[in-house]
Amino acid sequence: MSQVQVDGKTYQMPPQDGFTVAHFITVADVERSARFYEKVFGGRILTTGNSEGAPGFIQIANTWLIVYFGGAPTPDKPTVTLSVPPGPDSVSSFMNIRVADIHSCYELWKSRGAEFLTEPKVKYGETRCYIRDPDGYIIEVGQSNPDVAYG
Amino acid sequence: MPESKSSASQVQVEQKNYQMPPKDGITIAHFIVVADMERSARFYEKVFGARILSGGDSKGAPSYMQLANTWLIVNVGGGPTPDKPSTTLSVPANPDLVSSFLNIRVADIQACYKLWKSRGAEFITEPKPKYGETRCYIRDPDGYIIEVGQTNPDVTYG
Repeated sequence: MSQVQVDGKTYQMPPQDGFTVAHFITVADVERSARFYEKVFGGRILTTGNSEGAPGFIQIANTWLIVYFGGAPTPDKPTVTLSVPPGPDSVSSFMNIRVADIHSCYELWKSRGAEFLTEPKVKYGETRCYIRDPDGYIIEVGQSNPDVAYG
Repeated sequence: MPESKSSASQVQVEQKNYQMPPKDGITIAHFIVVADMERSARFYEKVFGARILSGGDSKGAPSYMQLANTWLIVNVGGGPTPDKPSTTLSVPANPDLVSSFLNIRVADIQACYKLWKSRGAEFITEPKPKYGETRCYIRDPDGYIIEVGQTNPDVTYG
Protein backbone atom coordinates (compact mmCIF):
# COMPACT_ATOMS: atom_id res chain seq x y z
CA MET A 1 0.00 0.00 0.00
CA SER A 2 1.24 3.51 -0.68
CA GLN A 3 0.05 6.71 0.92
CA VAL A 4 0.53 10.45 0.82
CA GLN A 5 -0.06 13.27 3.24
CA VAL A 6 -1.96 16.29 2.00
CA ASP A 7 -2.74 19.25 4.21
CA GLY A 8 -2.15 17.05 7.26
CA LYS A 9 -4.47 14.21 6.23
CA THR A 10 -3.24 10.85 5.01
CA TYR A 11 -4.54 9.31 1.78
CA GLN A 12 -3.89 5.71 0.86
CA MET A 13 -3.96 3.65 -2.32
CA PRO A 14 -6.11 1.66 -2.21
CA PRO A 15 -8.10 3.77 0.29
CA GLN A 16 -9.00 2.18 3.64
CA ASP A 17 -11.88 4.61 4.01
CA GLY A 18 -13.36 7.42 1.96
CA PHE A 19 -11.66 7.97 -1.38
CA THR A 20 -8.36 8.81 -3.03
CA VAL A 21 -8.14 10.59 -6.37
CA ALA A 22 -5.87 9.42 -9.19
CA HIS A 23 -5.27 10.52 -12.78
CA PHE A 24 -5.84 8.02 -15.58
CA ILE A 25 -4.26 8.25 -19.02
CA THR A 26 -4.61 5.90 -21.96
CA VAL A 27 -1.16 5.01 -23.31
CA ALA A 28 0.34 3.07 -26.18
CA ASP A 29 3.01 1.38 -24.04
CA VAL A 30 2.56 1.01 -20.26
CA GLU A 31 6.24 0.29 -19.65
CA ARG A 32 7.41 3.29 -21.68
CA SER A 33 5.05 5.64 -19.85
CA ALA A 34 5.98 4.26 -16.43
CA ARG A 35 9.68 4.79 -17.19
CA PHE A 36 9.05 8.33 -18.42
CA TYR A 37 7.18 9.42 -15.28
CA GLU A 38 9.78 7.69 -13.12
CA LYS A 39 12.77 9.21 -14.87
CA VAL A 40 11.53 12.78 -15.27
CA PHE A 41 9.45 13.36 -12.14
CA GLY A 42 10.79 10.71 -9.76
CA GLY A 43 7.51 8.80 -9.84
CA ARG A 44 7.50 5.49 -7.97
CA ILE A 45 6.41 2.58 -10.15
CA LEU A 46 4.15 0.42 -7.99
CA THR A 47 3.20 -1.99 -10.76
CA THR A 48 3.42 -2.08 -14.53
CA GLY A 49 0.20 -4.10 -14.65
CA ASN A 50 -0.41 -6.93 -17.07
CA SER A 51 -2.11 -7.60 -20.39
CA GLU A 52 -5.17 -9.16 -18.70
CA GLY A 53 -6.55 -5.81 -17.60
CA ALA A 54 -4.44 -4.64 -14.66
CA PRO A 55 -3.13 -1.10 -15.29
CA GLY A 56 0.21 0.40 -14.35
CA PHE A 57 0.28 2.45 -11.13
CA ILE A 58 2.83 5.19 -10.54
CA GLN A 59 2.87 7.28 -7.39
CA ILE A 60 3.87 10.87 -8.12
CA ALA A 61 3.94 13.47 -5.35
CA ASN A 62 0.44 13.68 -3.82
CA THR A 63 -1.30 11.57 -6.43
CA TRP A 64 -1.22 8.39 -8.47
CA LEU A 65 -1.01 8.06 -12.21
CA ILE A 66 -2.85 5.04 -13.62
CA VAL A 67 -1.88 4.09 -17.15
CA TYR A 68 -3.35 1.49 -19.47
CA PHE A 69 -4.03 0.67 -23.09
CA GLY A 70 -7.09 1.92 -24.89
CA GLY A 71 -10.10 -0.19 -25.68
CA ALA A 72 -13.62 -0.47 -26.90
CA PRO A 73 -16.73 0.07 -24.74
CA THR A 74 -17.13 -2.05 -21.59
CA PRO A 75 -20.34 -3.00 -19.73
CA ASP A 76 -19.81 -0.12 -17.29
CA LYS A 77 -19.27 2.46 -20.06
CA PRO A 78 -21.17 1.04 -23.03
CA THR A 79 -20.67 4.00 -25.39
CA VAL A 80 -17.16 5.12 -24.45
CA THR A 81 -14.00 4.27 -26.38
CA LEU A 82 -10.58 4.85 -24.81
CA SER A 83 -7.65 5.80 -27.03
CA VAL A 84 -4.42 7.76 -26.91
CA PRO A 85 -4.94 11.42 -27.88
CA PRO A 86 -6.09 11.47 -31.54
CA GLY A 87 -5.00 15.08 -31.97
CA PRO A 88 -2.55 16.17 -29.27
CA ASP A 89 -3.19 19.85 -30.09
CA SER A 90 -6.88 19.62 -29.16
CA VAL A 91 -6.92 19.28 -25.40
CA SER A 92 -9.62 19.22 -22.73
CA SER A 93 -7.85 18.04 -19.59
CA PHE A 94 -4.32 17.51 -18.38
CA MET A 95 -2.07 16.89 -15.42
CA ASN A 96 -1.10 20.19 -13.87
CA ILE A 97 2.10 20.23 -11.85
CA ARG A 98 2.37 23.20 -9.54
CA VAL A 99 5.96 23.89 -8.54
CA ALA A 100 7.83 26.01 -6.02
CA ASP A 101 10.70 26.87 -8.40
CA ILE A 102 9.85 26.62 -12.08
CA HIS A 103 13.29 27.43 -13.43
CA SER A 104 14.97 24.67 -11.47
CA CYS A 105 12.21 22.20 -12.44
CA TYR A 106 12.61 23.23 -16.10
CA GLU A 107 16.37 22.65 -16.03
CA LEU A 108 16.18 19.41 -14.04
CA TRP A 109 13.34 17.78 -16.01
CA LYS A 110 14.84 18.90 -19.34
CA SER A 111 18.14 17.30 -18.34
CA ARG A 112 16.21 14.08 -17.68
CA GLY A 113 14.76 14.05 -21.19
CA ALA A 114 11.46 15.95 -20.87
CA GLU A 115 10.43 17.73 -24.08
CA PHE A 116 9.13 21.20 -23.28
CA LEU A 117 6.97 23.08 -25.80
CA THR A 118 8.67 26.33 -24.78
CA GLU A 119 10.78 27.67 -21.92
CA PRO A 120 8.85 29.06 -18.93
CA LYS A 121 6.83 32.16 -19.86
CA VAL A 122 5.11 34.77 -17.74
CA LYS A 123 1.31 34.50 -17.85
CA TYR A 124 -1.57 35.91 -15.82
CA GLY A 125 -0.61 35.37 -12.18
CA GLU A 126 2.04 32.75 -12.87
CA THR A 127 5.01 31.52 -14.89
CA ARG A 128 4.24 28.49 -17.00
CA CYS A 129 5.49 25.96 -19.50
CA TYR A 130 4.36 22.63 -20.91
CA ILE A 131 5.85 19.17 -21.42
CA ARG A 132 4.73 16.60 -23.99
CA ASP A 133 4.64 13.08 -22.58
CA PRO A 134 5.39 10.03 -24.77
CA ASP A 135 1.77 9.77 -25.96
CA GLY A 136 1.44 13.47 -26.72
CA TYR A 137 -0.36 14.51 -23.53
CA ILE A 138 0.51 18.00 -22.38
CA ILE A 139 1.61 18.42 -18.78
CA GLU A 140 1.40 21.93 -17.39
CA VAL A 141 4.21 23.09 -15.14
CA GLY A 142 3.37 26.32 -13.33
CA GLN A 143 4.60 28.52 -10.52
CA SER A 144 2.12 31.03 -9.15
CA ASN A 145 3.20 34.56 -8.35
CA PRO A 146 3.78 35.14 -4.62
CA ASP A 147 0.70 37.38 -4.37
CA VAL A 148 -1.67 34.71 -5.71
CA ALA A 149 -3.41 32.73 -3.00
CA TYR A 150 -3.81 29.44 -4.84
CA GLY A 151 -1.89 27.57 -7.49
CA MET B 1 -5.59 12.51 11.43
CA PRO B 2 -6.43 12.19 15.17
CA GLU B 3 -3.42 11.79 17.44
CA SER B 4 -4.94 8.66 18.98
CA LYS B 5 -4.03 6.71 15.81
CA SER B 6 -0.46 6.50 17.03
CA SER B 7 0.49 3.59 14.78
CA ALA B 8 0.21 5.79 11.72
CA SER B 9 1.53 9.03 13.16
CA GLN B 10 5.17 8.00 12.93
CA VAL B 11 4.84 7.48 9.21
CA GLN B 12 3.12 10.82 8.76
CA VAL B 13 5.85 12.72 10.59
CA GLU B 14 8.42 11.33 8.20
CA GLN B 15 6.25 11.91 5.16
CA LYS B 16 6.20 15.00 3.04
CA ASN B 17 3.08 17.10 3.47
CA TYR B 18 1.79 18.43 0.14
CA GLN B 19 0.35 21.91 -0.06
CA MET B 20 -1.09 24.25 -2.68
CA PRO B 21 0.78 26.29 -3.71
CA PRO B 22 3.83 24.11 -2.94
CA LYS B 23 6.43 25.63 -0.62
CA ASP B 24 9.02 23.31 -2.08
CA GLY B 25 9.06 20.58 -4.70
CA ILE B 26 5.82 19.93 -6.55
CA THR B 27 2.12 19.38 -5.98
CA ILE B 28 -0.03 17.79 -8.68
CA ALA B 29 -3.48 18.96 -9.74
CA HIS B 30 -5.96 17.89 -12.40
CA PHE B 31 -7.05 20.49 -14.94
CA ILE B 32 -10.26 20.39 -16.95
CA VAL B 33 -11.67 22.84 -19.46
CA VAL B 34 -15.26 23.69 -18.57
CA ALA B 35 -18.10 25.73 -20.08
CA ASP B 36 -19.09 27.30 -16.74
CA MET B 37 -16.65 27.54 -13.82
CA GLU B 38 -19.36 28.23 -11.25
CA ARG B 39 -21.47 25.26 -12.39
CA SER B 40 -18.48 22.91 -12.26
CA ALA B 41 -17.34 24.12 -8.85
CA ARG B 42 -20.82 23.61 -7.43
CA PHE B 43 -21.01 20.11 -8.94
CA TYR B 44 -17.72 18.91 -7.44
CA GLU B 45 -18.58 20.56 -4.13
CA LYS B 46 -22.05 19.06 -3.92
CA VAL B 47 -21.27 15.54 -5.10
CA PHE B 48 -17.79 14.88 -3.73
CA GLY B 49 -17.50 17.44 -0.94
CA ALA B 50 -14.74 19.34 -2.73
CA ARG B 51 -13.69 22.57 -1.07
CA ILE B 52 -13.95 25.61 -3.35
CA LEU B 53 -10.84 27.71 -2.76
CA SER B 54 -11.32 30.23 -5.52
CA GLY B 55 -14.06 30.89 -8.06
CA GLY B 56 -11.62 32.37 -10.57
CA ASP B 57 -12.37 35.39 -12.71
CA SER B 58 -12.93 36.38 -16.33
CA LYS B 59 -9.38 37.76 -16.68
CA GLY B 60 -7.81 34.32 -16.76
CA ALA B 61 -7.68 33.11 -13.16
CA PRO B 62 -9.01 29.56 -12.96
CA SER B 63 -11.23 28.18 -10.23
CA TYR B 64 -9.49 26.00 -7.64
CA MET B 65 -11.01 23.20 -5.64
CA GLN B 66 -9.41 20.84 -3.19
CA LEU B 67 -10.62 17.30 -3.75
CA ALA B 68 -9.25 14.70 -1.30
CA ASN B 69 -5.49 14.36 -2.00
CA THR B 70 -5.49 16.57 -5.07
CA TRP B 71 -6.73 19.83 -6.49
CA LEU B 72 -9.07 20.32 -9.39
CA ILE B 73 -8.39 23.40 -11.51
CA VAL B 74 -11.11 24.46 -13.93
CA ASN B 75 -11.15 27.21 -16.51
CA VAL B 76 -12.84 28.09 -19.76
CA GLY B 77 -11.19 27.02 -23.03
CA GLY B 78 -9.21 29.17 -25.40
CA GLY B 79 -6.85 29.39 -28.34
CA PRO B 80 -3.09 28.89 -28.36
CA THR B 81 -0.97 30.87 -25.92
CA PRO B 82 2.74 31.82 -26.12
CA ASP B 83 3.62 28.83 -23.91
CA LYS B 84 1.58 26.33 -26.00
CA PRO B 85 1.55 27.89 -29.47
CA SER B 86 -0.21 25.02 -31.28
CA THR B 87 -2.67 23.85 -28.61
CA THR B 88 -6.34 24.72 -28.36
CA LEU B 89 -8.28 24.07 -25.15
CA SER B 90 -11.97 23.18 -25.36
CA VAL B 91 -14.58 21.16 -23.52
CA PRO B 92 -14.74 17.54 -24.73
CA ALA B 93 -15.63 17.58 -28.42
CA ASN B 94 -16.99 14.05 -28.20
CA PRO B 95 -17.67 12.75 -24.67
CA ASP B 96 -17.57 9.15 -25.94
CA LEU B 97 -13.98 9.43 -27.20
CA VAL B 98 -11.82 9.62 -24.10
CA SER B 99 -8.08 9.59 -23.44
CA SER B 100 -7.72 10.64 -19.81
CA PHE B 101 -9.98 11.09 -16.81
CA LEU B 102 -10.23 11.62 -13.09
CA ASN B 103 -10.12 8.24 -11.36
CA ILE B 104 -11.62 8.11 -7.87
CA ARG B 105 -10.58 5.03 -5.93
CA VAL B 106 -12.97 4.27 -3.09
CA ALA B 107 -13.14 2.03 -0.02
CA ASP B 108 -16.87 1.23 -0.39
CA ILE B 109 -18.24 1.61 -3.90
CA GLN B 110 -21.85 0.74 -3.06
CA ALA B 111 -21.96 3.45 -0.39
CA CYS B 112 -20.32 6.00 -2.72
CA TYR B 113 -22.71 5.08 -5.54
CA LYS B 114 -25.74 5.65 -3.34
CA LEU B 115 -24.43 8.81 -1.69
CA TRP B 116 -23.18 10.50 -4.84
CA LYS B 117 -26.31 9.53 -6.77
CA SER B 118 -28.46 11.05 -4.00
CA ARG B 119 -26.45 14.27 -4.44
CA GLY B 120 -27.27 14.43 -8.14
CA ALA B 121 -24.41 12.56 -9.84
CA GLU B 122 -25.40 10.92 -13.12
CA PHE B 123 -23.93 7.44 -13.29
CA ILE B 124 -23.61 5.75 -16.68
CA THR B 125 -24.41 2.38 -15.04
CA GLU B 126 -24.54 0.92 -11.55
CA PRO B 127 -21.28 -0.58 -10.21
CA LYS B 128 -20.18 -3.67 -12.16
CA PRO B 129 -17.48 -6.23 -11.39
CA LYS B 130 -14.49 -5.97 -13.73
CA TYR B 131 -10.98 -7.42 -13.73
CA GLY B 132 -9.75 -7.02 -10.13
CA GLU B 133 -12.29 -4.39 -9.16
CA THR B 134 -15.88 -3.12 -9.12
CA ARG B 135 -16.39 -0.04 -11.22
CA CYS B 136 -18.81 2.58 -12.48
CA TYR B 137 -18.65 5.96 -14.16
CA ILE B 138 -20.14 9.40 -13.60
CA ARG B 139 -20.64 12.09 -16.25
CA ASP B 140 -19.73 15.55 -15.02
CA PRO B 141 -21.57 18.68 -16.30
CA ASP B 142 -19.26 19.01 -19.33
CA GLY B 143 -19.46 15.34 -20.25
CA TYR B 144 -16.16 14.22 -18.72
CA ILE B 145 -16.26 10.69 -17.39
CA ILE B 146 -15.13 10.12 -13.81
CA GLU B 147 -14.20 6.58 -12.91
CA VAL B 148 -15.27 5.31 -9.50
CA GLY B 149 -13.60 2.04 -8.58
CA GLN B 150 -13.08 -0.26 -5.63
CA THR B 151 -10.25 -2.73 -5.94
CA ASN B 152 -10.73 -6.34 -4.84
CA PRO B 153 -9.11 -7.12 -1.47
CA ASP B 154 -6.51 -9.44 -3.06
CA VAL B 155 -5.17 -6.76 -5.39
CA THR B 156 -2.26 -4.72 -4.05
CA TYR B 157 -2.82 -1.45 -5.88
CA GLY B 158 -5.85 0.42 -7.04
